[in-house]
Amino acid sequence: MADRITLKRIIKLLAISAKLDLTWLLRDAKLALLAIGGDIVNNVAIASGVFLIAARFGGIGDMSADEVLFMLAYSTMITGIFALFGSGNNIHISRIIGRGQLEHLFIQPLPLFTQLVTSGFAPFTGGGNLIVGICLMVIAGKRLDLHITPWWILSLITYLLTTLVTIIARSYFAASAAFYAPVAAEEISSVAIDETWFLSTFPLGGMPQAIQIPLLTILPEGLMAWYPSLCLLGKSPLHLTAYYPMLYALLIALAARAVFRKGLRYYVTRGSNRYVPYGFRR
Amino acid sequence: MKKYLVTAQLSALEKTNGGIVYLLPNILIKVCTLVPLLYLWRVVMSAGAHVGMTLEQMLSYTYLSALLSNMLVVETAASGWLSEGVILQLYGRPLSVIGQLVAQTVGGWAPYLLLFSLPLALLAPLLGVHLVPASPWFFVSLLLCIMLGFAIDALFACLSIRLRNMNWLINRLRLAVATVFSGTVIPIKLLPYGMAEVMKYQPFASLGGAPLSVFIGTADLTEIISIQVLWNLILWPTALLIWNRSQERMVSYGG
Repeated sequence: MADRITLKRIIKLLAISAKLDLTWLLRDAKLALLAIGGDIVNNVAIASGVFLIAARFGGIGDMSADEVLFMLAYSTMITGIFALFGSGNNIHISRIIGRGQLEHLFIQPLPLFTQLVTSGFAPFTGGGNLIVGICLMVIAGKRLDLHITPWWILSLITYLLTTLVTIIARSYFAASAAFYAPVAAEEISSVAIDETWFLSTFPLGGMPQAIQIPLLTILPEGLMAWYPSLCLLGKSPLHLTAYYPMLYALLIALAARAVFRKGLRYYVTRGSNRYVPYGFRR
Repeated sequence: MKKYLVTAQLSALEKTNGGIVYLLPNILIKVCTLVPLLYLWRVVMSAGAHVGMTLEQMLSYTYLSALLSNMLVVETAASGWLSEGVILQLYGRPLSVIGQLVAQTVGGWAPYLLLFSLPLALLAPLLGVHLVPASPWFFVSLLLCIMLGFAIDALFACLSIRLRNMNWLINRLRLAVATVFSGTVIPIKLLPYGMAEVMKYQPFASLGGAPLSVFIGTADLTEIISIQVLWNLILWPTALLIWNRSQERMVSYGG
């Protein structure tokens, strides 16, 4: 019988994930620090690519170099929060589905949703990028002379959560293919999340609308950093409302929920041809 | 040689085992990244800053970089195969392990060249991109770049052995290198704060950035080819030496 899920229970589950994360870190601190450092270097490198262009040319389109830095700080914070809560393939969900590992979750006395929410929490190894992102945001904020108020901070948190919802929903939407084609679609979440990340660091200002609009709708990379950053700087792009990212996140989350549930129903009736009794995949 | 060609052929076929349709997401993402990147450069270059490159050269640089991305920063399966245990299979065959990795990697390029690079090369004129090399030395530079890429990849594989198969970390570092130091995303020449002068001598600059700058005609040919030859002469013996020593430390499990 499944446990009763309360806030206290969720905090306890997060604590278990944090403890496992700390155990991994302490198992071999040298390797763990290398892994954390490598992750930070990689994310800063991806973000700095566009900043170096902005610095060289004194800005990109209608954004100054400091505004681009602000946008990249936002992007780095997103990768930081992602690593903080998504270190257990719980956001790269196609891997769990494709490898037949959903079975492992089914036998736990916890609802699937609760397990997925809490299983990727990695505060000790996943928090580095968030710290770097916050530092970059403070630097950019000072250079831009931003007037920081509690309302602004609340807006920042809301936009960060909205962006995360969009990322997770898109990953789950795409990952639903793994219910039907587990081998071929095992890495489709990576394609949806990681392969597009460089594109999400592009400032879209100055580009034709034929490029901007698809990147705010079909492939929402413009919503990963560019659009929310401009809203936080008080310059909503394309004369659209500052609430557009929230609306988009809601719609894609609903679509993902419907598609994922349908896939899950298919999975529980057919099972996975990759699952073997000792838990490894074919 | 025939055995290596068959290995390459098998590798090419393996990429399409699940059907061509499953290659499409990757190809689509590449196209969706390339087109905005072309417009990004149009926006940036239209600001009028003097950077020693014309817009046409910049577009050719970016376009070709996407078309030949697999060759410009070579990535073999070695790091991943170490952690998955697949690499042990290579030792059971009467072929050089590094030779097999090279053949497998080159074979794996074929589907992408056919399904992505070739169609986009044909579409280039429609996007206003000029794809004719400024010098035939481009092909020499590309060959040196690929050779150096394999040497650097072998060194990354050795690092993976040293770090007990942390191929995830290796991939992250490799991606960072490709993004900033290789010049495939931002030409080394465009780096700000005086970084360009220093960065052009580091080994990663002899990867993608070198043939691309030869292709568009902004490179000092003698200098760039000499640097590429020099890094090949330094890194290949180093890679082979470290590879031979690292084999004793190789630990693989899984299957």
